[in-house]
Amino acid sequence: MRRAGPLLIIAIGLIALFIDFFPNAAVPGGDPDAGGWRQLETKLGLDLEGGLRVEYLAQAVDGQSPDAAALGVIRDIVEDRVNSTGVSEPVVQTQGADRIVVELPGVTNPDQIRRLVGQTGRVDFVPLGSTQMTEGQAIDLEQFPPLFPGSEVSSVNIGQDQTGGLTVNFQLKEEGARLFADYTRDNVGNYFAIVLDGNVISAPVINSSIPNGQVQIEAGGIGGFPIEDARNLVNVIKFGSLPFPIVELSAEQISATLGEQFLYQSLLAGAIGIGLVMLFMLVYYRLPGLIASFALVYYGIVVLAIFRLIPVTLTLAGIAGFVLSVGMAVDANILIFERMKEELRAGKSLPAAVEAGFNRAWNSILDSNVSSLITATILYLFGTSVIRGFALVLIIGVLVSMFSAIVVTRTIMRVIVRQDWARKASLFGLREGEFAAQGATRPAGRREARARV
Amino acid sequence: MFDIIGKRRYLYIFSLILTIPGLVLILLTPFTDLGLQFSIDYTGGTRWVIRFEDRDVTPEQVKSVFTEAGLASTVIPEANDYLEIRTEQVVGLREGPAATPTPAPGASASPAASASPAASASPTPTPAPSASASPGSSPAPSEPPAIPPVGNSEIPTDGQLGQIAATLQDRFGPIESQTALTSIGGVVSNDLIRDTIILIAVGSLGIMLWMTYRFRDIRFGATALVSLLHDVLVVVGLFALLGTIAGIQIDALFVTAMLTVIGFSVHDTIVVYDRVRENRARHAGEPFDEIVNHSILQTVGRSITTSMTVVITLLALLLFGGAAINNFLIALIIGIVSGTYSSIFVAAPLLVDWHLWEDRRHGRMAASRGPRVRRATP
Repeated sequence: MRRAGPLLIIAIGLIALFIDFFPNAAVPGGDPDAGGWRQLETKLGLDLEGGLRVEYLAQAVDGQSPDAAALGVIRDIVEDRVNSTGVSEPVVQTQGADRIVVELPGVTNPDQIRRLVGQTGRVDFVPLGSTQMTEGQAIDLEQFPPLFPGSEVSSVNIGQDQTGGLTVNFQLKEEGARLFADYTRDNVGNYFAIVLDGNVISAPVINSSIPNGQVQIEAGGIGGFPIEDARNLVNVIKFGSLPFPIVELSAEQISATLGEQFLYQSLLAGAIGIGLVMLFMLVYYRLPGLIASFALVYYGIVVLAIFRLIPVTLTLAGIAGFVLSVGMAVDANILIFERMKEELRAGKSLPAAVEAGFNRAWNSILDSNVSSLITATILYLFGTSVIRGFALVLIIGVLVSMFSAIVVTRTIMRVIVRQDWARKASLFGLREGEFAAQGATRPAGRREARARV
Repeated sequence: MFDIIGKRRYLYIFSLILTIPGLVLILLTPFTDLGLQFSIDYTGGTRWVIRFEDRDVTPEQVKSVFTEAGLASTVIPEANDYLEIRTEQVVGLREGPAATPTPAPGASASPAASASPAASASPTPTPAPSASASPGSSPAPSEPPAIPPVGNSEIPTDGQLGQIAATLQDRFGPIESQTALTSIGGVVSNDLIRDTIILIAVGSLGIMLWMTYRFRDIRFGATALVSLLHDVLVVVGLFALLGTIAGIQIDALFVTAMLTVIGFSVHDTIVVYDRVRENRARHAGEPFDEIVNHSILQTVGRSITTSMTVVITLLALLLFGGAAINNFLIALIIGIVSGTYSSIFVAAPLLVDWHLWEDRRHGRMAASRGPRVRRATP
């Protein structure tokens, strides 16, 4: 460790610097669609970036609660619905046994999205015979029994007719295709309806018999469907049916400008706080304080790199957690340096005092950090998402701070105390008298002799 | 030598004075309007922060619109002419669809059956959509353009809050901007109060076990636990007081602050106890109370220094950061200061009392009060 220490520290520092500042750096493990590489970036939470966060509860149906697989299906459907709106970087996650959390940074039309996502969507294909119906009309499914449900659709997309107008095309599965073929054969000129939760979404007239389950819906006017209508219809047909209905448990909307302001302010405040701590360390502990400050910068670089690697989503509370962990990182150094001073006053030589400082303070530092880890881990395991973010920041902070405040500081101290220029009481915030022991263990003559070489 | 342990009776009294008023207010919370004030994170409800183009719209005017809608609300002016509206009724969530069972579509539903001449003659839709067999290889247009946002679309339009927003804009002119809109249903909230209590209990217990394990002595763990609970009481009590007199609420982050305080305030206790353990081995035979007193004096400087550096960083966040997490930061700062205090003035004295009590019980009084032999210490 003594030999490998400096190399290891430099290597980790360089890797962290690369991760922090090299533009467009990527790591394996991203979305397969994007080539399996994930771009490294500092992820910001909604409170710093602005956006919409909605938590949904998947409701039990007939006393049966959704299982993990069903929740996964709901998640996928919700994600598809969200993606269809063109929002960038949506996050859709399951949480607990029956929750779905949707996070959309920077959305500007939250109501529209919530309307789309929240639809329970039981889709039915209903034969209407000669009855005409309009969009949005409620339909009595007792009177018009559905022919088959939306699950009989295997694929749906937006197409074009001969004149370039937009159409909605879908392909039916075997059973649906057979039923539809029978119906359309006998009912050319009559109507059928696509029904969502008992409301007619579209009620086209049947132009021709459809034998193969390949259906095209045209708008009838010039230019076909407006793009929004076509998309809506596609979404309804495609993602219409959730196995369990979902209801909103909570919704949070934060404006992007406010988020930006918070980000700027908290970064500034964090910088001021850390700057003040460094200043204090320099004034109070002198040379060791300088080394601790350097270790703090190193700590910051490594922690940021880990945030970008995992990635950790930074929130306001997360930044507070980071700043707090900086305070803790310094605490370890304070305990070590105080102990070092004690040992120096007790007459130990500088290198011996340094070693004793680290060794004797180790117990307290370990116990303290484990205590923080215990509570942070509890928060991480049982907290809600905002709390988990804070806890993760704290956990990473505590672990890295043990490395930076102990290994990094110690390695540098070991190198420095061997230098002659470093052996001065004032550099350690001590009076000359308290440092006198130094002279006793190392004869002045030898020091001068070395200096001359 | 300054005798802290000898004055421990006064310290206990001081800590009681510090914690009892808060405790009373906390206990009053469930029964009265006094005590802790919970934010919508706990109670459920809606919080909405908006600014009208007309900066002279008053909180009372806004409140009256909510009252007309049958909603009890609190409207507070905020910085930069923003108005913060809070209501404990949930108005910003979409109503869940009623789980109406739809008749299962049977394959037996023949097309002929539905062709009955229904009375519901509806107006003909124009243009009428039509369905036809699509050519199998119909090319889908490549990714259509995204729907552009329209107007100030962040202002709600749906549901009850949408209606209220419309009424507000009718009466007082356009809402210029909205910085935050949070709605929380009751289901989330009930979980949270229970979780908060459990998390604090589990956290404290975890620390106690860890301390007991590391010092191989239940007395170290138990007294550390008491000093932790002291800190929790100080912070929660302070917020009960602030809630009573200033309406300051505690939110979901509060539990985070409490657990962080629990994890952090034990740091100073550890430093003192570690020194007690070391001194006890070094100065075996000295009375325990003197060892503890000596240990406190040796470590009090660094206890204060370590807390001070953390408080400095948090104070910087409090003074220069955004206001959003100020309550969280205040809870942390108070908890950390209290943690340092309780390590020195609660945990260590309790440790001494417990020790002396056991000594008395085992009748070893005479031995420990015997002639004091002091080793030469620097």
